[in-house]
Amino acid sequence: MRQKTQKLVLTFDTTAAVMALERACAGQEQLGRIIPTPQAISAGCGLSWCALPEREAELTELCRARDILVAGKALVEMYG
Amino acid sequence: MNQQVNAIGDACPLPVVKAKKALSEMAEGTLTVLVDNEIAVQNLERLAKANGCAFSFAKDGDAHYMATIEKTAASAKDVQGAEAFACAPAGDTVVVISSNRMGDGDGALGKILIKGFLFALTQLDVLPQTILFYNSGAFLTTEGSESLKDIRALEEAGVEILTCGTCMNHYGIADQLAVGGTTNMYAIAEKQMQAGRILRP
Repeated sequence: MRQKTQKLVLTFDTTAAVMALERACAGQEQLGRIIPTPQAISAGCGLSWCALPEREAELTELCRARDILVAGKALVEMYG
Repeated sequence: MNQQVNAIGDACPLPVVKAKKALSEMAEGTLTVLVDNEIAVQNLERLAKANGCAFSFAKDGDAHYMATIEKTAASAKDVQGAEAFACAPAGDTVVVISSNRMGDGDGALGKILIKGFLFALTQLDVLPQTILFYNSGAFLTTEGSESLKDIRALEEAGVEILTCGTCMNHYGIADQLAVGGTTNMYAIAEKQMQAGRILRP
């Protein structure tokens, strides 16, 4: 039986920003991954960053250090 | 006022037609609909959402589902027609991945998109029966693929994962298959021929 768990989802104003975060997190699977923006957050098209909620501080600092502007944060119930 | 509709054994679109009739007769309350297939559940969810009603469902046993539609004062006064809820074709859904990129254009974006598509499949409540990978799509099921975690999750959830053996041989990755099984052109043709629906991103 598949279970949903809470995930942290970071949104960005541009695809380039989330792709920059993916490059910054290369080889560090524990920091999360790119996903299509969940419909629970937005019905629009877009890519977001998905991670475990406990990684929020680490990701926030990484984005700040790399000048990657985070547009929003949300907690979303997702499979996996 | 609460109501229950028993649509066990009813062919599509009868469950949604019965549910629409019951909803129309209710001012407010809970409508419980018993059905025996997931397509009916999906159609009932569309009916609920189209009319501003809350929806949930529970699976009871192998083939019994209890869908619950909550009609409130905020829900639509005139229940929208069930005509728009097309019945799914008989047969399983087969997803065909023929490339390690999704769409034409920017290659880097195409790789992110196919990765996102495979992730999105893992988030579906109703999963496809089979995913076929061929041509450069074979790179997605072999070692080094960034989608292995998602494809493994799909396999663990019961989705059949098949990759074209000829394609893996061609690309020299036949010994690197990391998830699912190997298939051939006859099976690829047969799976698509028997499918009720084919998704090709």
